[in-house]
Amino acid sequence: MSGDRCPVGYPLAWAPAPDIPEGWTTLREQPLLEITLPSGEPALLVTRYKDVRRLFADERLSRNTFGRASRVSASNDLFGDPRIDNDPPRYLTERAVVMRAFSARRIEALRVVVKEIVGQLLDEMAAGPQPVDLMEAFAYPLPILVICHMLGVPPQDRAKFRRLIDGFLSVSRLPEDEVEECRRQYWDYLTELIDAKRERPGDDLISELIEISREDPTKLTDYQLQHWVKTLLIAGYVTTASQLGTGMAVLLHRPEAAAELKADLSLVPSAVEELLRYQIMGTSLGTLRYAVEDIELLDGTTVIPKGSTVLLSQESNMDADEFENPLDLDIRRTENHHLTFGAGIHFCAGAALARMELQEATEGLLCRLPGLRLAVPGEELKRPEGGFLAGYTEIPVSW
Amino acid sequence: MGSLRVSAERETCVTSSLCVYRLPQVFDQDEEGRVVVLDDRPPDTLRDELRRARRGCPTRSIQVEGLPSEEGDTTP
Repeated sequence: MSGDRCPVGYPLAWAPAPDIPEGWTTLREQPLLEITLPSGEPALLVTRYKDVRRLFADERLSRNTFGRASRVSASNDLFGDPRIDNDPPRYLTERAVVMRAFSARRIEALRVVVKEIVGQLLDEMAAGPQPVDLMEAFAYPLPILVICHMLGVPPQDRAKFRRLIDGFLSVSRLPEDEVEECRRQYWDYLTELIDAKRERPGDDLISELIEISREDPTKLTDYQLQHWVKTLLIAGYVTTASQLGTGMAVLLHRPEAAAELKADLSLVPSAVEELLRYQIMGTSLGTLRYAVEDIELLDGTTVIPKGSTVLLSQESNMDADEFENPLDLDIRRTENHHLTFGAGIHFCAGAALARMELQEATEGLLCRLPGLRLAVPGEELKRPEGGFLAGYTEIPVSW
Repeated sequence: MGSLRVSAERETCVTSSLCVYRLPQVFDQDEEGRVVVLDDRPPDTLRDELRRARRGCPTRSIQVEGLPSEEGDTTP
């Protein structure tokens, strides 16, 4: 890396419309980009699809970032926790315990529940005033209700749960002490919830994990159990909500694509996949890793120095070496091995759940509200300032 | 019967479920959500989907004999 080049602020600048900035396709001219995280601390962004794909599966990039890697924001280490080992072999033992609940069979059994929740939310939306904010009316409630159902969070706790998560994930929006307060209250709430499940187990994932940890505490200690529940609740909510809302905004901004999809609903799975590739909700902040050794990139000359903080670029979904016409939204794309869910052993645990929700939500919206459209020009949709995700604060729609 | 031979590495499987959704007639999962091969000699008509399943596996846990390997299929 040349030291005289000025680091780029990260997240990168966005295009004003629900489009991908042209600049993302030329990021890969440099395989490794010096960037500055929202905390002001330095990191390196790996830009090329092939490098990113390989490095997701490279154990020289550690997920144990706490206390040694740069921080995402000054006040918030996000998922960093010194008591949790995110590297193999320990990580794999814990992950295996949790993943049994995310098999295709288990996810498909949930599809009927998701369909029902989608139907209820759309009934309420259809009966209400227009325009309405798609995020508040649909995109936020759906994944909260689904993940709370799956984990067994009681209905009366869901509003509180959401308030705490929203605060906790606010990277630079809230003052430091308020973020910390949300984090503390959220952790205390989970302690109470898990204790209640120990007393009265239900037909839910928390109760299942408690049972496994009781049978064999070496697989999952109490602390690790609570950590996984915390992470699953967060991951199951905000990411899906953001992808759902911004994905619909991207689609509705292109009425011809929306019409094509409405006319042939068998395209919903490939359209959802393409909107995931095209995802403009996300940043690569969630891929934060720490290099425990020097790592050479595929060009044979560029090296990630040992001790670097590394982000694996989600923008590599726009790498023209991997995707044909990457800036085009093609809802029929068949060669679509996007990296939105990552790769390697940390591949998103909830990917199949998220896909299923996105499919049901997309089909439900298009069928129940066939006239659905953006109520403001796509170019005017606002992005949040700060925050872990980069979706839209509000998506006004009519039908 | 075709010339393709499919195998999968249970130990490295991370339950992405991508192969099961893509080719439910070839791949399944056990109680723990780990990959199981249902049909290790699938018909040649499934070539393209098998190639995509192999390519898409996040931990490269799928092998297909009789299908030329592509750049990035086997590494790491």
